[in-house]
Amino acid sequence: MKRWLGPVFALVVMVATSAHIGSPDVLFDGMAGPYAVRVIVRPPEVVPGLAEVTVRTDSMATRVSIRPVFWRAGVRGAPAGDDMKHVPGQATLYTGQLWLMSYGSSSVYVTVEGPRGSGTAIVPVGSFATGRLPLSPALGVLLAVLGIVLFAGLLSIVRAGAGESLVVPGDVFDAPRRRRANRITATAAPLLALAVLGGWTWWKSEDATYRRRMYGSPELRPSMTTDATHRRLDLVVRDTASFRAITSAVTPDHGKMMHLFLIGVGDTVQRFAHLHPLETDSLHFTTEVPWLPAGRYRVFGDITLENGLSLTVASTIGLPALTGTVAPSDSDDAWTEVPHPTLIRAAAAASVGDGYAIRWSGAPTLAAKTPMDLRFTVRDAAGRVVPLHPYLGMAAHAVIMRDDASVFIHLHPMGTVATAAQRAFSLRDKGDTTPRGRLLDSIGGPGDMPGMSLSGDLDFPYEFPKAGHYLVYVQVKPATRVLTGIFDVNVQ
Amino acid sequence: MAWHAYTVVFAAACVMVGVYWDISWHMSIGRDTFWTPAHLLIQAGGLIAGLSSGYVALHTTFRGSTAVRDASVNVWGFRAPLGAWTCIWGCAAMLTSAPFDNWWHNAYGLDVKIISPPHALLAIGIFSIVVGALLLTLAQQNRAEDERRRSRLAVLLALTGGFFLMNFALFLTEYSERDMMHGAFYYEVTAIAFPLALATLSRAIKLRWAATSAAAFFTAIMLGLMWFIQLFPATPKLGPIYQPITHMVTLAFPPLIIVPAFCIDLVMQRFAGKLGTFALACIVGPVFVLAFLAAQWPFATFLVESPLARNAFFNAENWVFWMTPAYAEHTRHFAPPDPNAWPFAVHVLIAIVIATVMSNLGLRRGRWMTQVRR
Repeated sequence: MKRWLGPVFALVVMVATSAHIGSPDVLFDGMAGPYAVRVIVRPPEVVPGLAEVTVRTDSMATRVSIRPVFWRAGVRGAPAGDDMKHVPGQATLYTGQLWLMSYGSSSVYVTVEGPRGSGTAIVPVGSFATGRLPLSPALGVLLAVLGIVLFAGLLSIVRAGAGESLVVPGDVFDAPRRRRANRITATAAPLLALAVLGGWTWWKSEDATYRRRMYGSPELRPSMTTDATHRRLDLVVRDTASFRAITSAVTPDHGKMMHLFLIGVGDTVQRFAHLHPLETDSLHFTTEVPWLPAGRYRVFGDITLENGLSLTVASTIGLPALTGTVAPSDSDDAWTEVPHPTLIRAAAAASVGDGYAIRWSGAPTLAAKTPMDLRFTVRDAAGRVVPLHPYLGMAAHAVIMRDDASVFIHLHPMGTVATAAQRAFSLRDKGDTTPRGRLLDSIGGPGDMPGMSLSGDLDFPYEFPKAGHYLVYVQVKPATRVLTGIFDVNVQ
Repeated sequence: MAWHAYTVVFAAACVMVGVYWDISWHMSIGRDTFWTPAHLLIQAGGLIAGLSSGYVALHTTFRGSTAVRDASVNVWGFRAPLGAWTCIWGCAAMLTSAPFDNWWHNAYGLDVKIISPPHALLAIGIFSIVVGALLLTLAQQNRAEDERRRSRLAVLLALTGGFFLMNFALFLTEYSERDMMHGAFYYEVTAIAFPLALATLSRAIKLRWAATSAAAFFTAIMLGLMWFIQLFPATPKLGPIYQPITHMVTLAFPPLIIVPAFCIDLVMQRFAGKLGTFALACIVGPVFVLAFLAAQWPFATFLVESPLARNAFFNAENWVFWMTPAYAEHTRHFAPPDPNAWPFAVHVLIAIVIATVMSNLGLRRGRWMTQVRR
């Protein structure tokens, strides 16, 4: 487990929401005050719904509790925390559940207590309905049978009510009364059937309304402009949610308004760029694309909002050939093209240029839906593990994409998190916001994570959401240049 | 079986108190499991009604005396009073709603709306149990030859009528916000529900002030629960929390339907037996709307605008924990009318037409109820 030293604020460490496509679980490695923690939050597919939380901490902890904090209400508007339960046989592992009730930017406050005092880690999560549970055939049959019994029973009661119940005790339920009861029942049957049909239509209508309210990534509209000195990519983000998903302004994360990733389509997945567009207007971004060869590219953009919500937007674009010399629009932009990805297996190593290599040192077999550490080691030409320079405030960045692009995530050794949202929640708690929730100061400086390890031994905590063939792009800065290793891996 | 009527009325009381408590639980604490005390009370009420009625059906079918069998009806080869069958059906509907509601929560989220298909099925089941209690007691009232016994049963019926009215009031909660009470929609919605119930009860219960008695029980039960449940401390266990709640929050002051109920009783005393059902409905419908409007409109003004209403007695600040301060402020003002809507007087006329139709239905149902003997 990767452990960071030194909280940002006294006894409080914050992390950020996870921007992703198809990879909803949030993982965090860090500190809750003086205690190291690894937190896994599995958000519910429906909201209001239950999030599953797992916390592994050190053996000094005596009590671990979790608390849901909705950004708009802040910590003052959060219910009291619930104690987590020890997992039997696992002295340092705790599990618990909490309700996420509202759409928007939310978080899980994990508080650890022990002889060293107490500390809290904040793990923000996006709280949206993303799925819908289908009706299982068994339950469908059960409900249908019960429905038929209820329908038949009701008709029988109507017949009894229209007929025999009106007969004075001792009198005979004669034929004319029976005929009248049968007539009324025959009239009631289609009316009740209509009522059932109305209920069915209502159900379908509620279902359609729910589907409209399910979260989908905001739309990304890319467009290119080229001339001799420019190959400009303009991006417009449009909130397509029937509710408003984007309710506050974009804020810098690692000092950048957007982290944009271009990945070649099909056989050109080794073409990769990590760019940083400028925001020229609200949700309008622009960047130069200086190096990449012409071709078709997938485009993924990570943005973080002032309310701590991180979002990933995606599209594809055809990149025209360069006609001149184009300068990058941001000095931290990085690009690479290697001959082919390195298949992750025991001790697989990718040469990344300048005499450096990144070696996969984790388990060769990877399983889906299992928390794990993706372990890499950066070595120089002599085979020594080298110290790293921070790149955008982090020791390393990784991008994981399933080959069909159904999964995409940008993560760091601290987990599947951005870093801007941590301070959004922290400032919200301190009251450094306007009455409408707007932050009063810039929150996304590129400062390094305090106490961050810059060793060439890297751990990325992650859990592959499903089996398949994945690409893993690892970016480090061992000297002056950002170098990228590209790996591919089959997840069972 | 006289005990059965009392048992089922008790079961109906458990269910209705449980429903009120459950709503209050959601308003105050929020966190919900099947095992909350309010849910258990509802389920217990359903099971008491269903199982006792099931026992009566088995006993009547296989061991019933001739007199007991003569006071029963045949359903699927078994014999029991009509009210018992209605209770069994209601219990079955409630049980059916449980897996449906559980799936609904998992598929669409926890109780995003009170009125959802599984909740409607549960409400129909609960309604059936209350109707079953009414029918069981009615059949005994209608058969009773002893005047004292008949009067005692009529009072029991009026109590059950109070639960009957509660059903309608609770199902209309989302359409009965205080700030809606100067809008036409509120009066149209109430015109669907209460004239039907009051007209039914006014005919079915053999009391001079039948509708008034049932409305008085309704008001007393609602007020009693409103005042009593507020006494218990509670804090929300779900977030976000926008209101600093320290005690249970309860539903608002009940609607003043006792006023139109009294007027309906006057109409019935004056015209019942002299006019046909439809002609009677043509009087009951307008009387309901106008009397309710005359009572509820100024009372709503008091509840919404007067600081004197902002206390535990009138309960005008029964804000749920998730109500934002801005929305709470809105509740101190009436919702503005839709500028494109028809004039209010037109909507009052629509409400009168609705109330007349529903009164007609209620009077016919009430007449049928007076004939139920088994």
